[in-house]
Amino acid sequence: MGNISTPLLSCLILVLFFCSAIPSTAFSSSSSSSSTMHTNNWAVLVCTSRFWFNYRHMANTLSLYRTVKRLGIPDERIILMLADDMACNARNKYPAQVFNNENHRLNLYGDNVEVDYRGYEVTVENFMRVLTGRHETAVPRSKRLLSDEGSHILLYMTGHGGDEFLKFQDSEELQSHDLADAVKQMKEKRRFKELLIMVDTCQAATLFSQLQSPGVLAIGSSKKGENSYSHHLDSDVGVSVVDRFTFYTLAFFERLNMYDNASLNSLFNSYNPNMLLSTAYYRTDLYQRLLEEVPVTNFFGSVMETIHTDSPYRALSSINSRKSKIEMRLDQTSRGGQRILESSDVPQESTDSDTRDKQVSFPFTHTWNTILWRIENMKEMNYLVNYGLALMFPIVSFSTWLSR
Amino acid sequence: MSRLKFSFLLFLILLWGSESTAEEEKEANEEFTEALLLRPLPDRKVLAHFHFQSSAPPTQTYGRHHYIFPKSIYQLVHKFHIREMELSFTQGRWNYERWGGFDPISSSNAKPPGVELWADFDVPQNQVDDSWKNLTHALSGLFCASINFLEHSTSYSATQWSFQSSSSGKLRYGTLPREAVCTENLTPWLKLLPCRDKAGLSSLMDRPSIYRGYYHSQRLHLKSDEFDTSKISSSGIVLEQTLTVVLQPNTFSGKKLQPSWSLSSLFGRKVTGKCSLSNSSNVYVQFQQNLVSEENESREKSEAQKNEILIHEGSHNNPLFALSHPPKRVIKEVENFQKEGSILYEYSVEDYDEYGPFELGLRWKVPVIWSCQQAPLHASRFLLGSGNERGAIAISMKSTRSNDIEIAGLDDEKACSLRVGIFQVVPWYVKVYYHTLEVFLDGESQATMDNIEKIHVSPSEDKVSPGVMEIVLRLPCSVKTAALTLEFDKGFLHIDEYPPDANQGFDIPSAVVHFADFVANMSFEDNLSKEIPILSKLQEKIPVRSYTEVLLVPLTTPDFSMPYNVITMTCTIFALYFGSLLNALRRRRGEEERLLKGKGAEKGPLSLLLSRLSAKLRGKQWEPPKPSSSSSKKSSVNYKLVAKVVLVAGIAIVWQFYYQ
Repeated sequence: MGNISTPLLSCLILVLFFCSAIPSTAFSSSSSSSSTMHTNNWAVLVCTSRFWFNYRHMANTLSLYRTVKRLGIPDERIILMLADDMACNARNKYPAQVFNNENHRLNLYGDNVEVDYRGYEVTVENFMRVLTGRHETAVPRSKRLLSDEGSHILLYMTGHGGDEFLKFQDSEELQSHDLADAVKQMKEKRRFKELLIMVDTCQAATLFSQLQSPGVLAIGSSKKGENSYSHHLDSDVGVSVVDRFTFYTLAFFERLNMYDNASLNSLFNSYNPNMLLSTAYYRTDLYQRLLEEVPVTNFFGSVMETIHTDSPYRALSSINSRKSKIEMRLDQTSRGGQRILESSDVPQESTDSDTRDKQVSFPFTHTWNTILWRIENMKEMNYLVNYGLALMFPIVSFSTWLSR
Repeated sequence: MSRLKFSFLLFLILLWGSESTAEEEKEANEEFTEALLLRPLPDRKVLAHFHFQSSAPPTQTYGRHHYIFPKSIYQLVHKFHIREMELSFTQGRWNYERWGGFDPISSSNAKPPGVELWADFDVPQNQVDDSWKNLTHALSGLFCASINFLEHSTSYSATQWSFQSSSSGKLRYGTLPREAVCTENLTPWLKLLPCRDKAGLSSLMDRPSIYRGYYHSQRLHLKSDEFDTSKISSSGIVLEQTLTVVLQPNTFSGKKLQPSWSLSSLFGRKVTGKCSLSNSSNVYVQFQQNLVSEENESREKSEAQKNEILIHEGSHNNPLFALSHPPKRVIKEVENFQKEGSILYEYSVEDYDEYGPFELGLRWKVPVIWSCQQAPLHASRFLLGSGNERGAIAISMKSTRSNDIEIAGLDDEKACSLRVGIFQVVPWYVKVYYHTLEVFLDGESQATMDNIEKIHVSPSEDKVSPGVMEIVLRLPCSVKTAALTLEFDKGFLHIDEYPPDANQGFDIPSAVVHFADFVANMSFEDNLSKEIPILSKLQEKIPVRSYTEVLLVPLTTPDFSMPYNVITMTCTIFALYFGSLLNALRRRRGEEERLLKGKGAEKGPLSLLLSRLSAKLRGKQWEPPKPSSSSSKKSSVNYKLVAKVVLVAGIAIVWQFYYQ
């Protein structure tokens, strides 16, 4: 911290960065997770709502299930919890089929779905048991989360929620304290290396407020006081079929295959608050790695690093010395600028709120960056020019009206 | 020349010898067969019955490694020492009146909705319950269903004589009436087949068309005598998997004519050859012999029609219907005094491949009516009474016409009687009083217990065990209706024990009604059919069995909104009352006015400075008073807005020029 001579702003940023880094380094030194290698991937996908009108929650979960399976996580490493049976529901016009889009192009239920917890089994108790691994002895392996200290776990939850809680089956609640406790216990039992919690409910951000364990990354569909909305209604099925947050998550993943190196940052930036009608929120203060360097397949897929060794028994040393280089999708300039924007946003927030929970959220200014990025990536320039021309007329007329 | 002949003979002998040795080897080998039975039903629907059987020779002689038999099932049998087990997943209700209740398929494949599991263990008596619990968990993992709910002692029971003739006391029975059945249950079931659904008859199982059906029941039956030390020659493990579906052909064919169908119109897929690991792969089409053309309704003419079928059974150009392919074989059932036989047309899938898939079609030529054979009594169950406190369960049985002839012949003898067994499990929260059991015959209450041959009752114990009743009634043959009633009180559950959708009501599992004296089997003329598992299964002598409906009992459900509303309302009224009272008592008008005047005057620079200082001291950001700054802010905002608009317009103009 000797950079007092540098300009004031950068100093402030640095101080903040260090402040946030200190607790996390303290944690990581106590646990051995940083030294172990990422060896396997698990996914726990939970749909917590019962009843037919919550069709979209099951469709959300199944879409994630499909994506995760497509990106390489095998069925035995996916714990799928569905609170109700929608596919063979008497109200379903399309038996044994579940759709997440009006066009009905993709049957999410396919021929090879393995549901591990179903119906009345989806309870807070069972959910906690899955996370913490405290089962009865008779419970079969397919219903257990058999992760270890080299596991990356994706925990996806969807349903109805509120301030610091998530409803299970309309009768129970999972509180943010419960979730934090379970995660803490998992950390102590070395059940994960890194954990990504993704929640699509109303006020999803509040569910993360009690998390303390290092190595946890959390993303929610909406901030406190905001609702998460469904995307569209399928008039054939008769209910809404997908939620906005999940819809845009899937839109991001549909473009990817197993070998793409899109970073988590590009996923997080793909959420447009105007499209979601809520502000996607992510909490990174417990996570050590830079989001730009983490490919999404670290959580949503199962792509292992291949290590070439010249001779046996020398693998370990080579891992530590070797730095994995990940190709970036975004160019460096736009992201660099954006990081400054994010962090310069932090002082305003943290001065009046509790500094311990420094949480970075999407500032509205950063939509401009997304637009810039879109422009760069856009293939058809003609569209843009046409739109620009169309936009010109109201602007010019408005300005002339103003000047008069 | 003679040498050549001799060598040829020798060759034949050798061939014969090798074949016979191969057959001997086969006896100790794993086997897998597949078959599909199709049967048009009188109400314009079609029954499709898939039958797969795999068998593994006993471990003692064969070893533990299998190449066809599923490993998971083998491990299951060995871990839990299962002697016999049956698991079924069913959705929909078998319509006994229309689809028949006397044939082998309805007796063994018509199952209660949801999941039904029974298992007979070969372990010491005190370990049976533990084995059962572990088995339910294992099966729930294997078949993606919540079968583990059957582990609680409240949800399963021990039966004495309803499922097996010899009561060992080691049989456990449990059902989950509300378990959903869907693709995720079928997929692991298919994974037990050596070809899964990739080849052979199982490739017909298109999920949407199967689950669109009126009834589907997937069943898994397991029988092993590996642990029987008394038997010298054990047959190993036999796994029988069946899927029974009732489908509606969606082809359009007038109002009178039965709908014509083909395999691809029923399932949306075609069979492209057999599963190469199966020993036989056959498709059967079954017709009832009492098939009658609707036009000639007079007795003699229908007789004539019947004869006509018999005559034409060999060829496929029947006057009533036409099958698209000539059958490989026609199997006729032996008619006996109590039932008319049926005809099976056999097709083999072996000769077909993906270039020429097997596509069987049935076309009706004339409108036809017929009826299926009924069980001697048609049972149904319903609830009596109203309210949330008490009620009664009634099982009523109506005599069907079919056994009239038989009864007429035997009526003179006093000994003629009809034995009916009923097995019913009731959850503990429906507290049945078994002393209130009443038997009605033809509407008259029977005072004495003459009609009860034997009865076994184990009353329910709260939160420990369900109430079980097994009863065998001996009814006179001439009985038209028989009914049983039992009264019950509705219990209360603990607040945690209510399911999330308690308002929907609670299910009482189906009761099993079985007729021990009647066997539902078909007997075929030729002995060849004994070798094909599906045919030998049809010939097996099993008692006629049927299931009643699941009962839905509404129980009192917890409702917190009422006390909550009462509390909220009373509190509001209290607050309004006391608030206004205190306001009226404590308010002083003159004082307030004086205070307001004083406030308006007091706002100098000194006070501003003071507030600023105090804010600094408290560590908060100082907020200037609102009205003073608002006007300046507004103007700056306006100025900024105009600048932005100009900027955007400029950018747009530059852009346009640049790209054109």
